[in-house]
Amino acid sequence: MKKLSEICKENVKIIKKILSSEDILVFSFTMKDGTECAAVYADGITDKMLLGEQVARPLSSESRPKNAEEAAKLLQSPENKRETEPENIVSEILSGNTALFIDGIGEALIIGMKKISMRAIMEPPTSVAVKGPREGFIEDVKTNVSLIRNRLRTEKLQVKTFKVGKQSATTVCVVFVDGIANPDTAKEICDKIESINIDSIPDSSYIGKFLAKNPYSLFKQVGTTEKPDILCAKILEGRIAVFTDGSPIALTLPYLLTEDFQGPQDYFVSPYRATLSRLFRFFAVCVSVLLPAFYVAAQLFKLQLLPFGFLLTISGSIQDIPLSPSLELFFLLLMLEILIEASIRMPRYVALALSVIGALVLGDTAVKAGIVSSTAIIIMALSGISAYTVPDLVGTVSILRLSFLVVAGSIGTYGIPLLCALLLYYLISSDAYGSPMLAPFSPIVKRDMRDALLKAPMTDLTTRPEVFRPKNKTRLKPSTERKEADNG
Amino acid sequence: MNKLWMRIFICGACALLLLFFSNDFGLIDIQETAIVIAIAIDKGEEEGKFDVSAQIAVPAGTGTGTAGNVTVTGASTVGEAITELNHKTGWYPTLVHCKLVLLGEETTRENVFEILDYFLRSELVEDTCLVGVCEGLAKDAFKATSPVKDISSSAISKVLSSEAQKTGLISVTNLKDFAKNYYSVSGGGFLPFIAVKQEAESQGDDQAQKPVFNGKINSEISPVSSEGAKSGEKKSDVFDASRTMLFQNGKGVALLTPDETLAFNMADTPTDYAFGNIEVDEKDGKVVYDLKMKITKKSAQLSFENGKPVFTFRIRAQAKIIDANKSDSILMITQSALVPEQVLNAAEEKFKKELSSAFEKSAAAGCDLFGMKMQLYRFHHKKYNAYKNTILNRVETRYDIRFSALK
Amino acid sequence: MDKIKIRQICFLFAVMMPVTKMLVYPTTLTYYVKNDLLISAFCNLLIEGVIVGLIMLLAKKTDKSFFSLIEDRFGNLTARIVYAVCALFFFASALLPLAEQKLFVMQVFYENVPSIISFAPFFFVCFFACTKGFKSIGRAADLCLPVFAVSFTVILLLSLPHADFSALLPITAVSPLTIGKGSLFSVNWFTDCFFLLFFLGNFKYEKNASKKVILSFAAGAFFILIFLAVFYGVFADIAIRQQNAIAQLPKYTTAFTSLGRLDYLFLFALTLVMIFYLCVPIQLCVHCICKTFKNCRPTLPSLAVNAAMLGLVILLNRSFNELQTFLTSQAWFVFLIFAYLLPVLALLLPKKILPKYKNKKEKLYE
Repeated sequence: MKKLSEICKENVKIIKKILSSEDILVFSFTMKDGTECAAVYADGITDKMLLGEQVARPLSSESRPKNAEEAAKLLQSPENKRETEPENIVSEILSGNTALFIDGIGEALIIGMKKISMRAIMEPPTSVAVKGPREGFIEDVKTNVSLIRNRLRTEKLQVKTFKVGKQSATTVCVVFVDGIANPDTAKEICDKIESINIDSIPDSSYIGKFLAKNPYSLFKQVGTTEKPDILCAKILEGRIAVFTDGSPIALTLPYLLTEDFQGPQDYFVSPYRATLSRLFRFFAVCVSVLLPAFYVAAQLFKLQLLPFGFLLTISGSIQDIPLSPSLELFFLLLMLEILIEASIRMPRYVALALSVIGALVLGDTAVKAGIVSSTAIIIMALSGISAYTVPDLVGTVSILRLSFLVVAGSIGTYGIPLLCALLLYYLISSDAYGSPMLAPFSPIVKRDMRDALLKAPMTDLTTRPEVFRPKNKTRLKPSTERKEADNG
Repeated sequence: MNKLWMRIFICGACALLLLFFSNDFGLIDIQETAIVIAIAIDKGEEEGKFDVSAQIAVPAGTGTGTAGNVTVTGASTVGEAITELNHKTGWYPTLVHCKLVLLGEETTRENVFEILDYFLRSELVEDTCLVGVCEGLAKDAFKATSPVKDISSSAISKVLSSEAQKTGLISVTNLKDFAKNYYSVSGGGFLPFIAVKQEAESQGDDQAQKPVFNGKINSEISPVSSEGAKSGEKKSDVFDASRTMLFQNGKGVALLTPDETLAFNMADTPTDYAFGNIEVDEKDGKVVYDLKMKITKKSAQLSFENGKPVFTFRIRAQAKIIDANKSDSILMITQSALVPEQVLNAAEEKFKKELSSAFEKSAAAGCDLFGMKMQLYRFHHKKYNAYKNTILNRVETRYDIRFSALK
Repeated sequence: MDKIKIRQICFLFAVMMPVTKMLVYPTTLTYYVKNDLLISAFCNLLIEGVIVGLIMLLAKKTDKSFFSLIEDRFGNLTARIVYAVCALFFFASALLPLAEQKLFVMQVFYENVPSIISFAPFFFVCFFACTKGFKSIGRAADLCLPVFAVSFTVILLLSLPHADFSALLPITAVSPLTIGKGSLFSVNWFTDCFFLLFFLGNFKYEKNASKKVILSFAAGAFFILIFLAVFYGVFADIAIRQQNAIAQLPKYTTAFTSLGRLDYLFLFALTLVMIFYLCVPIQLCVHCICKTFKNCRPTLPSLAVNAAMLGLVILLNRSFNELQTFLTSQAWFVFLIFAYLLPVLALLLPKKILPKYKNKKEKLYE
């Protein structure tokens, strides 16, 4: 590739040859002594006002500088650097910066003038907390990192930046606290990100797929959060965060299954309330996955599972239903999935109509027409609603629910504990980055139990989770008064 | 999970889906299943044959049940009757919710375990069901109409509930306990003796029998609940289970009166609170007191004194007057907790008499009602062989019954 | 090294071991020794406990695996032959518990007698487990602890009101010879100690490990004895009829409640523990085969073992009684040799005491 010369117009030509797109503009102006200058920038992502104020105005009142260093001093922009390689200059222009060429200087001055339209920091819709901070990440990686820096004002906070994507050159940041996070894990994650060879990274979930140890797994492999407060807490537990430019969702590694049962406000309410909520969530997920299967198994294989009164109610309600209980519930669950899919994708103004169709036409009318039984509708609804107590697991729960139903309807009641055993075998043998997925329950990590399904008071959470093998294990040192109170 | 496992799982899922959409192994078609809630067994006309009636729950849309009765006559065994029920009606009977087995009075002349054997053998029938003997024909009890419009078997089950047992008026037993006693060294046992009594008049429909099958099966859908209630007047029935039939080696050998039943329950079954009346001679004549008795301690223990077997009943109870057939002063009514000494003495005497009568009746019939042989075997094993056949006649009984006022 | 932890071995003995003794074992024992079943069971447990203690002693002396110990003493070929024979033993010893569970499943999980297809998927689960190695055994044991603790407690509490413990009297009503016979004929249920021999070298011997393992074995033994006592207390003379004992016990409390047979939920939970534990001998069988074939990958041996097991279960589908009679009253000596004699002989295998323990001992003597 041709090297830069000291003639401004030729340099512009070199760049325009590479960046032939029409949105790459050139702003030419002269200095006081008639020296020609040209600013090359990408339209739309560069702040033209700043270009005029901080570059064109000061230069037009000055004479030609001797070198690039002197030229940089003439500019009023705080963010500028020198660049000689045309490829790097092109990359900077595409990032929203401006390349300034001055006659007589064989270098380009790269001036930071990005103008990216960003949405404001607001509460993320997927993680609403009644109590607690309402900040959420946005699509800009720098802002997201700044939100973390703002909360963790320690010199040990490490941010490692990578460019991923051959075409997109997306910025990916790995954030962790040195001295807390396991260095081997951090290194492994950085190495993995570095080795990604893909065209573009549109979202953090892409990075997640590359970081997953078992890409074919039914379960999530990487934790996610949209809230800085939660991310900070996770980083301080020894996890490693990964930000992707263009995505408001931060990834956390290693991932444990229990963390999805921990709600955003569990740390801001009383430990009793938090414990109860977590147990409810766990129970609700069990209900969501197992209830349809037990309902079918009880009717088809083991009537004794149903209390006598309930059995009469069910057999009364399914009289003359053309489908067998298993098929009836299978199709109802499929309908539920279709309704959920449709309601997510449907424009909001049609959503009301959809709920009317879903609830009235498909539900009530189907019962009245004798196509499905009212009990099956109740089971389907209960199962569907319960899954949403743990939003991060909804996808997995849906698949598991259908799997359990199919197993219960084909193998029978024994299929349920068998599938449970298979799932548990799978989960207990899934380790990622040295952390078992079912920890702290299997293997049992006694100390970590204090913040798993049960939630101990904050003052008792003195150590970081051992499962992440943190370097510094102490999170909190009890005050002397507290120690005395405990002993007394 | 690697690609291999994923492929294996997908193959497994396909196989399961195939089974799911096509299977017919081992499943129950609930729409063709007859949920048998009670069984009544009577002696058949032919020697060695039985009439087996099944009360089948008929589900209604709202879940409240009615029931229909189906009778198979002349079956050799209960199992045969159940199979025949399936063959001839097309309904597959399931006995997992069978809560009651009623035996006709006639069946107790022979060893009832010839009949009950089916329930012990089959793994698909639970031995948790209550067992009772019915005065007359057991199947007639299923036709009875409860005044509160219960299904007849449910009404009988309520009469035989564990709550009823706690009051001491009824001796309740389930199949497991009855079998346990039968197969023990004692070989004795008891069952509540149920009599259907026509009592109140109530609204209900006619219970005309509608034989459906010309062969051996008679079926009638008895609208024994409110669901089936139609116009017309009908006398309703109540179930009296205050008497107890005693069994030895499976045969019915004696019948305890209601008072003897109460005394037996106070001495030997899990009765906490008992209710009974006492007649006391007072200056104004005979007065009947209704007592609520809280049994604080009970035991029936076999011991040996100077080489002789002694069986001691020890009952400690606290009593409270809940009614009397005389008009008392308001002060006396208020102080009902203060039971007069003569009432307490009369209660002691009465229960001693009734318990002694129950014991003598059972001993005379050769029934080890109080598990004396069992105690002999368990606690005095060395003397077991010497006394096992004669203990009921050689034992000396002692009654240590004391009542105090319930404060 | 360190694939399974001492804690997990403790849980294996304390909470997983008892479940397989809650199906047909109580009935079989009652058949032989009637109300003296506790004495007979205690004898078995005591002997097994001693063997557990001896194996822990061996673990204290050496950090080598059983295979390495044989290899060091007799060479690789001998070690592979021994492991091949042990694989056969594990295969045989898994047969009766599997047949037991099949019966249990048929009775407790189904109302109509289902086809073998209902039980066959167990072997798929087992196949998956066999490819996961010792780590999965240990972690499954961790999961089983709360499941067993809750389910067993609930089932016991539901059964207790119907138990009359005087049914266990008189003690030694049957002759000691009969009690001995009962113990001998039920030895196939007490081969759990043999597992420990194969865990050698796969766990780190820590301070007080022997004490912990023996105590947890004692806890498991206590649960078995309690269960047997309640079982006989509830059923007494008809105990012999109560196959699948654990499913029979709690029903008398729940049958008449408005919630119905709530005990089934806890039985299903215990079934999960049973599934995990039933996989253990098959997992060890696969482990032995892998060792025999020079540490080959476990996928193929797992497939072969489970397919063979499924074939046998289908073949013996209607011959449970014959199988039980053969294994209990005729082949008992095989279990005795492998589960008890082999661990004792294994004590003679280590050539020298580990230097770290040697130093400690020397210090003690000083």
